[in-house]
Amino acid sequence: MYCIALVAALVLAWTSAPAQAATGWWTFNRNTNLDSRLSWKWTYPPSPTEYTRSWRAGSGTSKDECELGNGWLPAGWYSLRGHWKDYDASKIKGRVWYVQDKVCRNGLTQRTQLFIHSEETASRGQSCTSVYDDRFCWERESDYYSDGCIKVARPSPVASFPNDLGSAHSTYHDYGGSSKHGLFDKPDKNELYVFT
Amino acid sequence: MTARMIIPLSLLIAFLAAGCGAPSAERPARKVPTARPPAVYTVGKSLIGAPGGARVALAAAPVTPLAGWLTPAVVPSPDGRYVAYNAWQALREDDPALSWADQGIARGDPLARPSIRLHNVAAGTDDVFADGAFSLAWRSDGAVAYFQGDEPEYRAGVPYRGQIVVRESLGAPAQAWTTQSARYVVAGWAGSTLLAYEEQEGEALDVLALDGPGRIRTLARDSGLVAISPDGREALVERGPESGPPTVRTIAVATGAVRAALDLTSVDPAVGVAGYSGDWQGDLAVASSSSGLAVFRIGDGRIGLEQAISVAGEGVAEPRFAADGDRLTGWVTTPGGGAFLDCDRASGTCQRVVPLPTARGVRGFSAWRRPAYNPSRPQEGER
Repeated sequence: MYCIALVAALVLAWTSAPAQAATGWWTFNRNTNLDSRLSWKWTYPPSPTEYTRSWRAGSGTSKDECELGNGWLPAGWYSLRGHWKDYDASKIKGRVWYVQDKVCRNGLTQRTQLFIHSEETASRGQSCTSVYDDRFCWERESDYYSDGCIKVARPSPVASFPNDLGSAHSTYHDYGGSSKHGLFDKPDKNELYVFT
Repeated sequence: MTARMIIPLSLLIAFLAAGCGAPSAERPARKVPTARPPAVYTVGKSLIGAPGGARVALAAAPVTPLAGWLTPAVVPSPDGRYVAYNAWQALREDDPALSWADQGIARGDPLARPSIRLHNVAAGTDDVFADGAFSLAWRSDGAVAYFQGDEPEYRAGVPYRGQIVVRESLGAPAQAWTTQSARYVVAGWAGSTLLAYEEQEGEALDVLALDGPGRIRTLARDSGLVAISPDGREALVERGPESGPPTVRTIAVATGAVRAALDLTSVDPAVGVAGYSGDWQGDLAVASSSSGLAVFRIGDGRIGLEQAISVAGEGVAEPRFAADGDRLTGWVTTPGGGAFLDCDRASGTCQRVVPLPTARGVRGFSAWRRPAYNPSRPQEGER
């Protein structure tokens, strides 16, 4: 019995070791408002080898990072301030990562309340009711647009987009992201870098 | 007739034509357009064009870091005696390239302190009007509305919440018109109704109408305010494309009824989207667009695209009609700092204007150039 338990513990330790040891970070490569690249990168220190998974993502409706409510996410490093799997605010819900406020390139304008998110309900479902566009339903390509946040797709009853949010969420947790949910008390070691 | 004959003959005809015409001194000289900045504007701490002084040194540079250009940085009073402006005291450096963690900035650390200052044009005085506040709208009767933060400092990781307060005059007590602490930005008065934004997570913007203390309506969800009609009865709002096809709509301020709408996917593709903080004079309104500027004609329950003007570079902010109505002004962000735009509607062309080109802002950033204007309606003579 002890042998079985020992073997099970070793197997568990071996299978979970890479995720435990990994350290990761987000990157966002701005290309267009509708078609940019969100990546999760990770390493197994001390090895410098980087591993990457990427997803199509959108941000903003304008390329002016200083345009509040419209511009895409400003360039630079961001601390992660929280991560939820069931976030329930009025405009953003479900699986989200909350990033710090950022001064845009003019050195003054503060972009605030920024997230990585999709269009889903707090319980990670879809609410597709209206003729054209529901805030919590991923219907079409234009859903990659945002008021400034990074957005990734997910499937819905009315459109067959890839489950990029689900993939990003599991990759984050499996390869070096924080296991915590909720607002982070201290700055998280996993950060986001937005390329210029 | 050969070319040898045609060319000298042509020259002779041209010479005679010139000689027989009106003397050159009397001929109307071809007008070379000279690009002009807005009538009243700021460059860093310098206020230029205000009544009573060509150039005035303010106590601080008018800036609106928590509102971008959702609201003017500088608002002249209806009687011309004051200018109110937004100031910003940075309490610690925040390098845009670095994360807060890398700079040792922790949640709750004070980063800056916004305030609204009043400059008395005649007396030259310049005092703090409201500490921990920003975005001010000046009603034609002298009442002012502004956002008052719950605390004076903007702190890292703490949404800067507060209330919208109104003073019936500069010296009157402040009365809260909102009932919940939230992130608001005051935009302008539409008659006796105050239009403001509520900024929610993800920088989503709802346009609110405040009819008095505690009397708050959502006028347009997920929208930006382009302009208020000259009589103050309608608001032109833009929406999309993140929440459907991009549109502009006119909404009756009193009832919230949509009077007219224009689907921007049905007009010149150069327009694309319309931006907030434009202008409305007579039956014309101007807004920024994907490619520059869009002028709309509004009337009889309809909105039509009148003109699309292409502007190179990034988007135009705060486009406005110049006093003569034939020109449009605005500003763009440039690598060397902001530049004003002066656009000629007849030719559909714009020129950049950079007054005080050597002005420098804080920490090596360029000085902001912003127009001073009052978006509230009606104004003198518009009732």
